[in-house]
Amino acid sequence: MNIRKLVWLEFKQHKSQLISGLLAITLGIAVIVGIRSISVVSEKAVAVNLDNLGANILVLPQASNVDNYYAADIDAPTMPEEYVDRIVSSNLEGVDNLSPKLTRRVKVGTENVVLTGILPKNEITSKPMWQQSGLLGNDLKASCAPSNAVNQSNGYEDEKLQRKVIDSLGADECLLGSTISRKLKLVDGSSVIILGETFKVSRVLNETGTVDDDRIFIHLHKAQELLKIPNQVSAIEIMGCCNAISDGLLSKLRNVLPDTRITTIGQIVATQIQTNKMMNKVSLIFLIIIIFVGGISIGNFMWANINERRKEIGMLRMIGFNKATIYQMILAKAFVLGIIGGIIGYILGTAAGVWLGPELAGLPVQPIPSLILISLCISIGVSLLGSILPAYLAGRIDPFKNMQEV
Amino acid sequence: MILKTNNLCKQYQHKDGLVDALNHVSFEVNEGDFVTITGASGSGKTTLLLSLAGLIHATSGEIRIKDFDVVNASDRKLSDFRRKHIGFVMQSFALIPYLTAIENVMLPLAISKFKKEQKYQKALALLKLVDLENRKNHLPSELSAGQQQRVAIARALVNSPTLILADEPTGNLDPSLSTDILNLLKKINKEEKITILMVTHSPLAAEFGNRKINLHNGCIN
Repeated sequence: MNIRKLVWLEFKQHKSQLISGLLAITLGIAVIVGIRSISVVSEKAVAVNLDNLGANILVLPQASNVDNYYAADIDAPTMPEEYVDRIVSSNLEGVDNLSPKLTRRVKVGTENVVLTGILPKNEITSKPMWQQSGLLGNDLKASCAPSNAVNQSNGYEDEKLQRKVIDSLGADECLLGSTISRKLKLVDGSSVIILGETFKVSRVLNETGTVDDDRIFIHLHKAQELLKIPNQVSAIEIMGCCNAISDGLLSKLRNVLPDTRITTIGQIVATQIQTNKMMNKVSLIFLIIIIFVGGISIGNFMWANINERRKEIGMLRMIGFNKATIYQMILAKAFVLGIIGGIIGYILGTAAGVWLGPELAGLPVQPIPSLILISLCISIGVSLLGSILPAYLAGRIDPFKNMQEV
Repeated sequence: MILKTNNLCKQYQHKDGLVDALNHVSFEVNEGDFVTITGASGSGKTTLLLSLAGLIHATSGEIRIKDFDVVNASDRKLSDFRRKHIGFVMQSFALIPYLTAIENVMLPLAISKFKKEQKYQKALALLKLVDLENRKNHLPSELSAGQQQRVAIARALVNSPTLILADEPTGNLDPSLSTDILNLLKKINKEEKITILMVTHSPLAAEFGNRKINLHNGCIN
């Protein structure tokens, strides 16, 4: 016979009471786990979708105008191409793809067009430093997106993505935006003279609805040569992971390149942050509810149990159990209640998440094992918190109640 | 001498004023005594017993059990003292309903440093002493009133106490069972040399002691 056994035997004695005592805390934990299971998958899906929108960070020279994100590089001042190497060598987390560009307005025939020099993939991968970083050597994918299973968009349907994964672009080749190709009446395989040099149209890009539709893309180094701006770029596009942007990637980039302007698509980051905040708020609200309702429920159950056992506790005090031992007994019981509530709550919440996830979020939800620890911590914490007052009051029960029956 | 009280007073606050439950009670008990405390209802005998165990605080005066100052001890020290030196036998048996006979007997050892097997053997020996070895796994509800009281007596003995305080131990028993229990207490007093203070208002039960203290309105007659 020891305290543990005494608590256990008492538990067994009041099994039915146990169920009602556990109900609130178990349901509370189940709701938190359910919401969290769905929201984690949902956050990942949002992150992947936003990352797949394309480059979302733009590094520009200090004096650039950033009123229009998509057109900020046009006629912008320039900065050294070597800045790309600086970003790569800084090994910042969340930088997925880099694309240096040099953009200027030029005349092609009678039309004003935007000429953009870009680096094709085969040249990017040939740079040893960039290969080491692992940033650009493989197929473009949202590597910062938490789950590849969720990432359904590696097909590069998005035209902006297509541009970044152009495998090769010869010095005499160009790509045309859809609008400019119509204006210049050019198709795949046509020839076009740009700044006195003849280029073959390698491909006409699909319509994107952005300023890119008016652009002609040529090799970056050819553009630098024709525009007489050697080793300079007007912008570096970065595909930054949205989560990383939320976590301060921009300021880290600013530290690497202090004399540049670094901007992002505000709405994208805002959407990501807002989504995360909303999910976190919902979880927080439930956490507060469970602390109150679960704590009160456990406290109520404990107090009812203690009241029922007043004579028993009085007798224990009389035969020499001190207050600390009584507290220990009550809190040990609360601890066990917390463990049971946490485990059952986790199982119920996970089952609900897996079952309801596809209905509510349209996404398959997998169990998250790490949530069991959080469930246990919350459940045990709430259970102990709710039992402090009953334990204190139990310690104050008069030990002589059993002897006052004469 | 094992117990000494000196000018022990206990006053209760009542809406009509202060009530003297114990009024300058002084007596001594020697080791091995079987003292019976008698008196009419309201004479203060239970208050005296509770005060001796430190379960209620005396208003003034002195109680010493084996040189332990009961009146001025802290709650923690009193708990430790009760656990080590005092056994209780109550009218209502005060057994825990969901524990078996042997588990009830082992209860005071729950916070002792004895090993599990030692606790078990100690409790079993005491159940043998009270002739209930064959009922060791019975719940209180499966035992008769007399058997329950014998389990309570075994529990009172499990810590090898210096003193047993018994509060109307035969109050819920019929006359023949009462005699059995009183004989058992007498046997424990003689054979185990344990001092017993027993509150009773049964003249028959009072005869089992070797000394009587009669209380009247909180004073020793």
